[in-house]
Amino acid sequence: MELHELARLLDLSPLTPTLDQHDAESGQGDGAVDITRGYASDLLSDVLANAPAGGVLVTLQVHLNVIAVASHAGLRAVIFSCGRAPEDDVIEKAAEEGLSLFMSSADTFEIVGRLYELGLRGSTA
Amino acid sequence: MSAEATAQVPRLRSLRADLHIHTALSPCASEQMTPPAIVQAALMKGVDVIAICDHNTAGNVGAVQKAAESAGGELTVLPGMEITSEEEVHVVGLFADLRTAENVADRLRALLPAADPGYYAFFGEQPLLAADGRETGRETATLAAAVPLDLNDIVGLIHDHGGLAIAAHVDRRSFSVCSQLGFFPEDAGFDAIEVSRHTDAASSRMEEFSSLGLPVVGSSDGHFLEEVGTGTTVIRALEPTFAELSLALAGVDGRSVTRA
Repeated sequence: MELHELARLLDLSPLTPTLDQHDAESGQGDGAVDITRGYASDLLSDVLANAPAGGVLVTLQVHLNVIAVASHAGLRAVIFSCGRAPEDDVIEKAAEEGLSLFMSSADTFEIVGRLYELGLRGSTA
Repeated sequence: MSAEATAQVPRLRSLRADLHIHTALSPCASEQMTPPAIVQAALMKGVDVIAICDHNTAGNVGAVQKAAESAGGELTVLPGMEITSEEEVHVVGLFADLRTAENVADRLRALLPAADPGYYAFFGEQPLLAADGRETGRETATLAAAVPLDLNDIVGLIHDHGGLAIAAHVDRRSFSVCSQLGFFPEDAGFDAIEVSRHTDAASSRMEEFSSLGLPVVGSSDGHFLEEVGTGTTVIRALEPTFAELSLALAGVDGRSVTRA
C-alpha cells in the first residue's frame, strides 16, 4: 500500500514534509512509495538487526538515534505511537535522510493492528 | 623552592575501584547488601574505592559512608546512583558529596510514581538502612521505574550538579545505551563508559568500546555480596577522592583509569 494512503487511513499526523508536497516540488514519484512490511520495537539494537528494509517502523522511542537506525536499516517511514513527539532536530535529520515521520495518538498495538488489516506483514511472515 | 621541585610530577597511586554497587534498597538486589556487609566485602577484595549506585536513589549512600568510617576509614565510598532514563537507558551518576547526590535523588523521586502492593510483590521491599545495617525506613517510590527525562536531560542533570555521567554496562543486552539506542550517541556528553564483568578484556567488542574515545571503566554492578569487587577499575591518582577521579577520567597530569 502506498505510504500516503496508509497515513490517510490511519489518520497519522505527518512530521516531515508530506510526500504529495514533495512530489509537487521535485516532480519525482516518491508519493508512490509502496509499503508492504512493517516492524514494531522500542529497542533500537533490535530494529537495526531485524527490521525489514523498505518497511515502516512503529515505535515510541523518540531519540535522535531512531533516524540513524531507521536509515541504516533501509526503512522508509517511522510512526511514533502514543502521541510521543520527537524534538525538532530529529525531524530535521529525518528530512535530510529522506525518511518520512508520522505521529499518532494511538498506541503501538492499535497502529500495528490497523497496518496488518491493510495487508502489511512483519519480517518473519 | 627551586623551579625543578615545583615542576615535579606529584606521586600517583594505583587505586582499585568498583564504581557501581547496589544496596538492598535497589529492586532485585539481595537483602544481604547492607552497609557493613558491602564494606567488609569490598575490603576483603582489596578494593580502595567504591561508589554506591542504587536505582534512582541515594537513600543508603550516607549509611555506607558511615559504615566505611566505622570499619577504619580505609575504604572510600563515593555517592552515586544509577538513573533510568525515559529510553530505559541506565546512566551512572557520581557526585562530589552526599548532599549533592541526595538533591539529585530528590528531583528524581518527585518524578517517580508511588509503589503499590503489586510492585512490592514483584520487586520486593526497598529498605533504607543505617550504618550498622538496621532498617530505618522504607522507600515508597517505584525505584525500578524509568524517570520521565530523556538521556540528554539525565546527563545534563548530572553535569549541572557537578557530577560525572557514565554510560552503564554498555555491553549488556538490556538497559544499555547500545541496546536501547542501537548506536552510541557520541554527542551525549558522557564522561566515561562502563563495561560489565561479563565482557572479557580479550573480547572483540572491547575495540568497539575503546573506539568511542571515552575512558572505559569496569564495575561489578553488584546486586549480591559475592559480586562486590568482581569488576574493577585501576585509578592512577593522588588520592581516593571524587576530584581525583574526575581528573583521572580526564587524563590530567598523567592520571588515568584502566578497566582491570
